[in-house]
Amino acid sequence: MMQLLSRWTWLRRWETLLLIVLIIVLVINTQLSPFFFDANNISNIFRLSIEKAMVVLLMTFVIINGEIDLSVASLMGLSASVLAVTFEAGWSLPAGFALALLIGAICGALNGFFITYLNMPSIVVTLAGLITYRGVARILLEDRSVGGYPEWFTGLAQNEWIGTFPFTVILFAVLFVVCYIILSRTSFGRYVYVIGNNRPGAEYAGISVRRVKMLIFVFTGLMAAFAGLWYAARLGNIRANAAEGFELDIITIVLLGGVSIFGGKGTMLGVGLSLLVVLNIRNGMSLANVSSNVQTSIVGALLILSVLIPNWAQSLQGSKFWRSFVDRNRITKGEAV
Amino acid sequence: MKSLRGLLHLQQVRELSLFVILILVLLLFGSQIDGYFSPRTFSRIATTVSIIMIVAVGQTIVVLTRNIDLSVGSIVGFTAFFIGQQFGFNRDLHPAAAVALAMGVGALAGMLNGFLVAYGRVPAVVVTLGTLAIYRGALVEYSGSQSIATRMLPDWIKELPQQTVFTIGEVEFGALPVIALVAVILFQMILMYTSFGRRLYAVGSSTEAAEVAGIPARRLVFTAFMISGALAGLGGFVYLARIGTITAVAATGLELQVVAAVVVGGVNTNGGSGTVFGTLLGAVLVGTIEQSLIRMRINEFWKDALLGVFILIAVTTDSVMMSRLRTWWAARAQKAHKREALSAPTAGQVEA
Amino acid sequence: MTSVTPPLLEIRSISKRFGATQALSDVSLTLYPGEVHTLLGENGAGKSTLIKIMTGIYQADTGEILLDGHPIHLRSSADAQAHGIAAIYQEPLVFPDLNIAENIFISHRKRGRIVNWGKLYRDAEAVLAKLDVSLDVRAQARGLPLAAQQTVEIAKAISMNVRVLIMDEPTASLSAHEVEQLFKLVGSLRKSGVAILFISHRMDEVFRISDRITVFRDGQLISTAPASEVTPESAIRDMVGREMGQLFTKTPSKKGQPVISVRDLGREGVYSGITFDLHAGEVLGFAGLVGSGRTDVALSLFGIVPADQGQIEYEGQAVRIHAPRQAIKMGIAYVPEDRRQHGLILPMTIAANISLPMLKGYVNRIGIIQGRGEAKTAESYRQQFSIRTPSVQHVAGKLSGGNQQKVVLSKWLNTKPRLLILDEPTRGIDVGAKEEVHRLINDLAQQGIAILMISSDLPEVLAMSDRILVMREGRQMGIFPREAATQEVIMTAAMGQAANAERIGS
Repeated sequence: MMQLLSRWTWLRRWETLLLIVLIIVLVINTQLSPFFFDANNISNIFRLSIEKAMVVLLMTFVIINGEIDLSVASLMGLSASVLAVTFEAGWSLPAGFALALLIGAICGALNGFFITYLNMPSIVVTLAGLITYRGVARILLEDRSVGGYPEWFTGLAQNEWIGTFPFTVILFAVLFVVCYIILSRTSFGRYVYVIGNNRPGAEYAGISVRRVKMLIFVFTGLMAAFAGLWYAARLGNIRANAAEGFELDIITIVLLGGVSIFGGKGTMLGVGLSLLVVLNIRNGMSLANVSSNVQTSIVGALLILSVLIPNWAQSLQGSKFWRSFVDRNRITKGEAV
Repeated sequence: MKSLRGLLHLQQVRELSLFVILILVLLLFGSQIDGYFSPRTFSRIATTVSIIMIVAVGQTIVVLTRNIDLSVGSIVGFTAFFIGQQFGFNRDLHPAAAVALAMGVGALAGMLNGFLVAYGRVPAVVVTLGTLAIYRGALVEYSGSQSIATRMLPDWIKELPQQTVFTIGEVEFGALPVIALVAVILFQMILMYTSFGRRLYAVGSSTEAAEVAGIPARRLVFTAFMISGALAGLGGFVYLARIGTITAVAATGLELQVVAAVVVGGVNTNGGSGTVFGTLLGAVLVGTIEQSLIRMRINEFWKDALLGVFILIAVTTDSVMMSRLRTWWAARAQKAHKREALSAPTAGQVEA
Repeated sequence: MTSVTPPLLEIRSISKRFGATQALSDVSLTLYPGEVHTLLGENGAGKSTLIKIMTGIYQADTGEILLDGHPIHLRSSADAQAHGIAAIYQEPLVFPDLNIAENIFISHRKRGRIVNWGKLYRDAEAVLAKLDVSLDVRAQARGLPLAAQQTVEIAKAISMNVRVLIMDEPTASLSAHEVEQLFKLVGSLRKSGVAILFISHRMDEVFRISDRITVFRDGQLISTAPASEVTPESAIRDMVGREMGQLFTKTPSKKGQPVISVRDLGREGVYSGITFDLHAGEVLGFAGLVGSGRTDVALSLFGIVPADQGQIEYEGQAVRIHAPRQAIKMGIAYVPEDRRQHGLILPMTIAANISLPMLKGYVNRIGIIQGRGEAKTAESYRQQFSIRTPSVQHVAGKLSGGNQQKVVLSKWLNTKPRLLILDEPTRGIDVGAKEEVHRLINDLAQQGIAILMISSDLPEVLAMSDRILVMREGRQMGIFPREAATQEVIMTAAMGQAANAERIGS
């Protein structure tokens, strides 16, 4: 994709900018705590956020394709709750996994159906999904907390397996590479960009837009369900409110990575860098004893800035080429994504 | 032209059917719960719904302009805490000053949203998802993990929920529902009878046409968010009066119920159509179901899932049924005139 | 009648240039109160540019506009409105969620902050009564027929005391009955002293309604005369009298087997009764005015908006074409009219654009796109069509119109089509590139590709087609062999001078 968009030098600059920010954050973090570069801390940075990171990968596809999915965190909670309920009922864990993943895929397909076949805005559909899926998790678990899973399951996410890096990190690295390749090197990835850029153009070129969108939502649901299971394994016990509010971090990381909220632009590399930036900022704040709610505030500010800054930079630059892509209607119809 | 009159009342049809559903729901619960149809039930529903309703009025205005405000829950929480704290400092704070302060703080928060959406060109969902976190974080930091306790509040505010403003038959209308009703009526009037209100509809209806007609779209969007913030501030005041004990997580997730009330109430998420009365019906329906489920002791955990399903049903009805109905009307009119056009004499086919 | 009253609006030597194109050169025009002045001209003759200058959307490079003898400066549409100049278009811009009365008065600044609905409805009814139309002012604008929406726009203009009303093809999508209503309206406006600048392609209407007729061609004013001194024949002659001189002309090619046979093809309410055969190696021109349904036929043949009537036989087999994907597989390619929206993905590279419809052919066994293969294909087209770019890895959006069109052509030729549909293939590209495209079309026909070419450029259609199908308002007016076709014949058929079409065509 870098090659495809080679003339969009600002994009490359965005990634350079992220790299610089990352270095600054790392430097500040080492000042904050002598333990920052401690192997334990580094592996913690990843391990404690790995579920968000997994969903970030798929959210990148969703947003580049010109949509948004607010329901992912609720789906993570739902999938964890499904596992808990089946475990309580005496099912084997793999059967529970299968059901949770199936439900994830079905919920993703439901999102996709309303969005692509009934032409409803993705914000509204996935906001309803956010409420409904979490609501189903509440029905399943009420206010119970379910734990006591076999050790092999919790060990998956908790034990350190390879060197100082836990298995989760290796797994994430593999997922990242796979998603990177799909997005930047395969025809499917190309279609994702094309549709996000110019939907009628994609239709005129014979691309089945609905199929691509459906696939993205189904896989997002599937990945959210998988991440939910992973979260369950890591925490060891599950409540209905598991992963609540995670969509904020997930969407922030994607947009900060240079993915345009209007679709069609962004790279997996940028998202990867932005992931490192956000995780390290959070880690640094933890080291500095900043409360988690304030951390969330700062992530919220990052979310807004990640759209605001490019907007202002572009209007300063004022190039006609750019303006032809920014639908002026969107200025006031801010809701359109 | 006669057949087109049907279109006129599309919105009314929508609201009427909501009203019918509300009555059906009431009858259903009435048949399941002993002594359901008592004035107490209605007073209780009215009191619970009043917070959602006040905030939903502001949300209606934002959605009319084709935007969304997800930060209202955090604004309610923040102002509730802030005002509670002011009473801690000064027990004799005048009620009017307290309300004004609440709405002022809320309006400031709304102005930041509005500025970023209208002038910063950042989509509303991004802005308000961000400020949802920011305002909540600000509250946590500001509160320093302390909370407002009922004993810190002056008596008049503690007694406000129990105050009866007027009674119709045996049904008592407390102060909180009356505040909500005043907000509903006031903003219904503003939307119906002021040029400001009509322009809000115009902006949501067609940005293109608004531009040609010289309507200041940005300023209107900004103002809509400001009003939404101010009403969320008022909601915060009412929340304080009703709940009394305010912690840093107060009113978390309230935005979801508010959006549900607005969407169920028939306000079009694509902007341009919907009324505050519709939102009122939506809020009452959502509140009735919530309260009744609790009284039925089935399972209060069902309420969230039902809320979500309600939104989906409402939006799908609007987007599928209503648009079908509209295109059906349009197609009929179109067909009629094309048939006329095509039946005009045609030239001979000349094939070489 | 016009000699005694002074002109209301006077346009003096207006010129306007866009890049390389001279859209208007030295145009002067007068409008008298109470007259209907019609502009005639092919698409692209400069009428729209003139309208946009008169409504303040564009500013003229040179020349001036005088209202009541005083020069005025129009910097925006608000300026124009303030001077009492308003325009209504074929597609009215109304607020669908507001009712008719509100739509009429929404731009009025002086109605105050409070809406008095009773007065609003009464005022709206009064305006409509002045126009002698009955519309329910309380009805929502959504779902109103186009004619009624236009009436609302006219009422809006009247309510703002319009003095000059520009009507840009207002009748194009109206039924005969609605046109009568509109003309009644025009009649009453004229009586009240409004000057009307009317644009239409329907000759019968033009001659019924106009006091004077002005013909435009290639940005120049060719003639202005009282309607009584103009005949349809003389007007058409003025409109089409373009030099054919330097145009490349298609060389005869071997006519092969029929590739596609279309019988009575139609789509409810859009077009109907399209019947033709197209053979390998043949170029079938589709002529007609913009909006006559030519593009709609092409969209059906390519499966974007499938037809719902008639039969298509493709290479000897009856087929239903329901999706572009299927059409591409069958060997049909469509080069769309709107290059930037439908033809290209502008921020992507030339290579990625060319490979897009056949992307599956550029992936290896595990699904990775072979960038080298894409580049090789793109490079070969770059050389073959001399696409002027330093590299095929440059973004398509930065190319000139002509080079963009070559990229779109490459993209579709790369699907190895047997039926190539070209929609306005040379619109907006310069003369040199135009000739290159024409030579290319000729080469493709020689190679045995069947070509369906939609074009509003009459000399192009005449030079490049073996046969020419003319459409008007969704109907097929006839197919003319090249030998029998002249600009006059085609234009006459396209504008609905039916009797003439029959006489010359047979």
